[in-house]
Amino acid sequence: MTTRRKFVVTRFDPDKDEVPKTQEYEIECQDDWKVLDAINFIKDEVDSTISHRWSCRMAVCGSCGMMVDGEPKLTCKTALDSYGDTVEIEPLANFPVVKDLVVELEGFMGKFQQVKPWIMNAKEEAEKKAASTMKEGTYRQSTEELMAFKQFSMCINCMLCYSACPVVSNEPDFLGPAAIALGHRYNMDTRDGGQDERNQIFREEGTVFSCSYANECSEVCPKGVDPAAAVNQAKFNAVIDWATGLVVSRPAAKGDE
Amino acid sequence: MPASKAAHPEAMAPPTPGPTRTAPPMQPGSWKTSPRMKQYARFGLTGWIYLFASFAGIAIVWSLGSGPEAYARMQAILAHPLAVGFHLLALASVVFVLIRFFGLFPKAQPARIGPAKPPPQPVLKVMLYGVWIGIALVMAIVKAGGLF
Repeated sequence: MTTRRKFVVTRFDPDKDEVPKTQEYEIECQDDWKVLDAINFIKDEVDSTISHRWSCRMAVCGSCGMMVDGEPKLTCKTALDSYGDTVEIEPLANFPVVKDLVVELEGFMGKFQQVKPWIMNAKEEAEKKAASTMKEGTYRQSTEELMAFKQFSMCINCMLCYSACPVVSNEPDFLGPAAIALGHRYNMDTRDGGQDERNQIFREEGTVFSCSYANECSEVCPKGVDPAAAVNQAKFNAVIDWATGLVVSRPAAKGDE
Repeated sequence: MPASKAAHPEAMAPPTPGPTRTAPPMQPGSWKTSPRMKQYARFGLTGWIYLFASFAGIAIVWSLGSGPEAYARMQAILAHPLAVGFHLLALASVVFVLIRFFGLFPKAQPARIGPAKPPPQPVLKVMLYGVWIGIALVMAIVKAGGLF
């Protein structure tokens, strides 16, 4: 079975266009198609000049995020039959547009680096734990310890949360949901020793306290990461860390002499 | 679909501009019609009600310090239907904000504070509503002269 649908696709060629415009395509769509299938069909069979990103087609790579009827969606996971006869496809909101449905990623990557998304001081932490538990060898992490952050490690960097966030839209310096969720994920990891540094970052301007808890990031997240929960847990932790620092002296950070 | 509004021109901009000219970022077009965003906007708008309620509170305290006549005048103003209507609106706002807060607060709890773990989210939600109802009951009893 097929259904004829009209797709209104945002087009922007930086070499020719001053501002983005729309172009309409009418195609026969199979009823089991995802939105990405339709865009790929248009690209392959109707207009090869359309630019869009995609890769895995199974909601893992996070490449194919676009606005579908005004909502950020992972197009490979979004069934076409839940839309009407006309479907509007736009590039992700809140991002500069490079071409057609392709958005600029450098700003997003820069925000990720700011939260230091890696395990810090792992060797020192492992030695400390080994000394206290008298166990040597591989660093051990219990299931309970893993479950404290596993949910936040499921992010596929699809950027839908940035597209849905009203703070991202208005505050360019805001780190944003995915980056903060990632920083929080490492803060919750028992192998990590970088909580002081990240909590310091989280207390700066444009970070966790810029979040107004609209909860839109969690509503649109295709992997159930719930970044809004991470951001607001990070708020609590940053405050508790600050209060703890008032009464307990901290070891000097590397580089502090 | 309503037309998209421009986002901040620097939203998600790269730290240094790339070689390719880009189109400016736009806000999602669905924000004007989305029920979730309408609720979020209503949540934000309640701030105005609390602002005016604060002014009213300051005016009441001011009148208390200005003698019995001034306080009686303030009482008369507060009994005006417009003032009563505003207070009902303020009550509705508080209920709306609390219900939203109680819905979102449990998942914002850190997994662990020191050795302590928070109770499960449903239990936490019941506790929040329990405290709210308890405080409201105590206040109602005090207002009715039941305790003092």
